[in-house]
Amino acid sequence: MERYWFGDVEEGVCRPAETDPAALGRRIDAVRAELGRPDWRLAQACGAVRDRADYIAVLQAGCMERARAQVAVELSGRDVELLQMVRTLDEIDHVANLLLERAVEWQAILDPAFTRKYRRGGKALAGRIQRSPSPSLRMVGGEIEHLGEVRNRLMREVSRRADAVLPNTSALVGGLVAARLMAEAGGLSHLARMPAATIQVLGARTAIFSHIRGSAPSPKHGVIFQHRRVHNAPKEVRGRVARVLAAKLAIAARIDHFRGELDPAFVEMAQKKIDAAGVRA
Amino acid sequence: MIRIGGVLVSPGEGGVYGERMIDGYRVWDPYRSKLAAYALLGGERDLAPEMRVLYLGAANGTTVSHVADYVEVVYAVEFAPRPMQDLIEVCRHRKNIVPIMADAGRPELYAGIVEEVDLLYQDVAQPDQVAIALRNVPFLRPGGTLMLMLKTRSVDVRLSPQDVADEAVRALEEGGMRVTEVLWLEPYHRDHAAIICEAIK
Repeated sequence: MERYWFGDVEEGVCRPAETDPAALGRRIDAVRAELGRPDWRLAQACGAVRDRADYIAVLQAGCMERARAQVAVELSGRDVELLQMVRTLDEIDHVANLLLERAVEWQAILDPAFTRKYRRGGKALAGRIQRSPSPSLRMVGGEIEHLGEVRNRLMREVSRRADAVLPNTSALVGGLVAARLMAEAGGLSHLARMPAATIQVLGARTAIFSHIRGSAPSPKHGVIFQHRRVHNAPKEVRGRVARVLAAKLAIAARIDHFRGELDPAFVEMAQKKIDAAGVRA
Repeated sequence: MIRIGGVLVSPGEGGVYGERMIDGYRVWDPYRSKLAAYALLGGERDLAPEMRVLYLGAANGTTVSHVADYVEVVYAVEFAPRPMQDLIEVCRHRKNIVPIMADAGRPELYAGIVEEVDLLYQDVAQPDQVAIALRNVPFLRPGGTLMLMLKTRSVDVRLSPQDVADEAVRALEEGGMRVTEVLWLEPYHRDHAAIICEAIK
């Protein structure tokens, strides 16, 4: 039997397939590996379509149904929304910083004694801006503070989600860093297929490309620097900690992707190895 | 392709992505589309009304919609789900685009949908762009055209774009294609070359 998307030919007799778009989409999905190169005249002879225009119309409708179903499956993955959450979190940080910079400049004009020096963090600054004589600037200050609240809330949710979606990776580096790694990789399935050496420098894009292009030294770490065991490590062992941690993260990501549940024995063993890497020889 | 006062346009229903219209024709921006850049820079190949086209790397359907204005049917292959959502919306308004969500590097998975085509157009940012093109050449009719928009920076950032293009031409000829034209798409697209080949069969 020869199979085509529009029907099956057996002993010279063609049996047309159902041309309803949803049924056609499912047929293409189910038997796509067996399908032969289509010819519209054969489809017409088969009685599946009336003419050339009908051939394209029927095929288009079926393919659109199939593509819609495929998109829905891709977007239903548990990591897809988490990825958007992480990116939104980074955007909020960016926007809030920009706004604060501008508001400080504005406030400095209204209050000649105002200065950033010897003030700790954005909070004190935001407080001063909210007591500014300009009502508009006070509103901007309120927005900055509100953005900060949104950010903290989102951060907690990212962390909570990551614990569920990336249980092993989160156990090693915490939910936030785990989620950032996944976002940099472009999704859990991508992260799970990455070599440890790539995971080690995820998020150090500029550094790795200036290294590949020429003389710059290779980066030791990217996103994983945000994890305390990397940034707290003494400088001479920091590269080693990053390397060992990345190696264990690569395994953790694969467990997360293919098994999807926490493996306490693996996590315990990995933690020991990572801690050992941080001890100065 | 049609030009109005030096501006490249295509005949079709507008409003796909907020493109400008001139006298009822859709303006085709060479900065957004490599095929438009190729045409404006004096590329030899043209689109014709009876053409059947296999388009690899359809993305969100911007260039695809213009190609569809000129040809009979476009089989548009795209792998990523987000752009595919946009492409499906474009297909709802154009009866001659068949969307296919698949990896262009695995043509066996859509071989049962795509008929023999006159033009194979490829614009994918992958390191193995040439190998992907060659894997799809069996869809071409004898004497059909391959237009490969080579993004040299995706192949290897360490090599000069010229070297990457030379290597691509060599690999294409080894794969049984006759290269007829290599056109750099400066100033519209940096480090991109349009490589035009004919299938000898």
